[in-house]
Amino acid sequence: MYAAWSFKHKPKSLSQIVGNEEAIQRLVGWVKSWEKGIPKRRAAFLYGPPGIGKTVTVEALANDLNMELVERNASDHRTEEAVRKFAGLASQSGTLFGKRRLILFDEVDGITGREDRGGVGAITQIAKAALVPIILIANNAYDQRLGSLRYYCEAIEFKKPAAGAVMKHLKRICDREGIKADEAALKFIAQRSEGDVRSAVNDLQALAQGKTTLTYDDVSWLAYRDRKEAIFNILRMIFYGKSADQAKHAVDMADVDPDMLFEWIYENLPHHLRDPHDLANAMNSLATADLYRGRIARTQNWVLTRYVIDFMTAGVAMAREKTQPAGFVPLKFPERIKLLSQTRAERHMKSAIGGKIKKRCHISAKSATRDILPYIRIIFEDNAQNAAHLAQWLDLDETMIEYMAGSKKQTKAIMKNIT
Amino acid sequence: MSFEMWAEKYRPKALNEMINQSEIVERLKSFVKNRNVPHCIFAGPPGTGKTTAALCLARDLYGETYREHLMELNASDERGINMVRETVKTFARIKSIGEIPFKILILDEADNMTGDAQQALRRTMERFTETCRLVLIANYSGKIIEPIQSRCAPFRFTYLRKEDQDEYLCSIAEKEKVKLQPDGLEAIFEVSGGDLRRALNALQAAASLGKPITSEMVYSVIGRANPADVREMLNLAMKGDFIGSREKLREMTLKYGVAGSDIIRQVHIEIFKMKDVPEPWKIKLADVIGEVDFRLVQGADDEVQLSSLLARLVEAGYDMKHAT
Repeated sequence: MYAAWSFKHKPKSLSQIVGNEEAIQRLVGWVKSWEKGIPKRRAAFLYGPPGIGKTVTVEALANDLNMELVERNASDHRTEEAVRKFAGLASQSGTLFGKRRLILFDEVDGITGREDRGGVGAITQIAKAALVPIILIANNAYDQRLGSLRYYCEAIEFKKPAAGAVMKHLKRICDREGIKADEAALKFIAQRSEGDVRSAVNDLQALAQGKTTLTYDDVSWLAYRDRKEAIFNILRMIFYGKSADQAKHAVDMADVDPDMLFEWIYENLPHHLRDPHDLANAMNSLATADLYRGRIARTQNWVLTRYVIDFMTAGVAMAREKTQPAGFVPLKFPERIKLLSQTRAERHMKSAIGGKIKKRCHISAKSATRDILPYIRIIFEDNAQNAAHLAQWLDLDETMIEYMAGSKKQTKAIMKNIT
Repeated sequence: MSFEMWAEKYRPKALNEMINQSEIVERLKSFVKNRNVPHCIFAGPPGTGKTTAALCLARDLYGETYREHLMELNASDERGINMVRETVKTFARIKSIGEIPFKILILDEADNMTGDAQQALRRTMERFTETCRLVLIANYSGKIIEPIQSRCAPFRFTYLRKEDQDEYLCSIAEKEKVKLQPDGLEAIFEVSGGDLRRALNALQAAASLGKPITSEMVYSVIGRANPADVREMLNLAMKGDFIGSREKLREMTLKYGVAGSDIIRQVHIEIFKMKDVPEPWKIKLADVIGEVDFRLVQGADDEVQLSSLLARLVEAGYDMKHAT
């Protein structure tokens, strides 16, 4: 079943929460102070950027202290009247069964809109008169409309946890999901999230769900997802540049390395230059740039990089003769970078099988993968009995058999025939 | 029932069993008779018996213990200079015990060796001629450096003739109790073009369904084995759909791992077959294809270079349409 990991792996106890140790201690101290009677400030006001665990902290706290948590989201109770209904809860000191009560009013900055006139005032009233601890949460504490509210509250700031702390959390999730993740991959996701744990967990899920391993290559392309807008403008400078110099200048403005910029240009070029002659000339220019890259790779003569730049920017810009600047053309992410990391596992599997074929068929692993493997695969798909014999002859392991068989059902049929 | 790949099961074990390349086989037999073998280059297209001939030569020469006097290396897998320095030298310098004073080293797919490795090999060949004879196997002898070529006896293998291949396939079908329809046999020759390994693989894959083999089944097997559809990619480009044809290209290179050099070779063949391309254009396009091929050799990126070729085809398609 699909469940958001940010929900599924939500910390149940304060000990599982990463970062903000100091803020959490203050909050715990304040809640515990209620045991000795009503403190001076009857509400706590937690503020800080989204996704760093404010709500989760309160939930874990209630759990740890065995309190009944009454949780309301301000977005659902926007008017004064609705807030007052909710207020009744705050005037009772406990539940029937003796559990102490903790009230959480989340996203209070969500009620400051015009139609919520009076809402903040009502909350302030409640905060002043509460008989049980009330916790208010907002992203922006300095919103002017919340000003009066903050005055009556114990204000506690939550800060972005450091990347190392986020990483710890991601690691715990990977362990629970049975995913073997490279440290570098988790570090990358953590750093990229800039302390937003929730978005880091969401990213992790998007990248790792259904996998058993997560490598740096699986995640690295994400880096470019965020830079869309900047890239968009740079590409337009190159595709529609009027002078060679202007187009070359685009490279300095891009905060991606030339190789990555090359990929962006290569992917998006055909979507812009629609005239066949312009397209052919521009692609030829890119191919020339690529040829210089090949020469650099062979000779390690990095001075040649300047010609790579020339051809991939100015060369492309000067190819445009007939194409008029198009209207809005959506930016395309360099597909082949994604594909390369997606198909990596498959290529590994193929060459491993190629290695097995090589041992039997007097042929290089490379040629075996190319020339023989496809035929063997057909036999695996069509004839379980023959496949079983071939699997034994080639000494294929079960994962290889599964790959060749193409389906769980056929794999089973083949395995049954193996003696 | 297939316990192994037929191409291995029916690989000839002695020079006598080879069905083709009769002139070459005769010369090799004379080497065996004289108990002496020069350094050799076996050049020719795939599936024509080069590796088989080398193995048969060794077996005929040394008898059943031939494995002790033979080393098989594949340059595609270990193509660097270290392979020559370590593996080859170690093997080559140790004397063989027995009646024949030299060992045989089969270096398969030798045209994939780097230039450095070939230079190193040339020295090794000179120094250890007494103790080791090389059989270099390559698709193109041109990719072997001149000094090595001049030290070797050249043998040029050619595709099997249709009668020979057909006869051989029929005999195997009989042994394997597979019904091979005449149109199926025709189809196998058409798709294999005299590449016996390919023919046998296609036959075996088609036979795995357990039905009499028709041309339809052969084509279906080939289609499943080679999803790389160069023709479709080219057609899309000629029609002006650059993005679509680039996607096809990606599918081939990334998903199926087809090498750029293989695609370009097929493109070259297909262009000349295309009926709606005016004849003079074919030569113009061949020039572009050749340039891309050359660039690939120089270490450029397969997909980018082939894409630039596709863009040229889009342009050509456009010009053809507007010229008439």
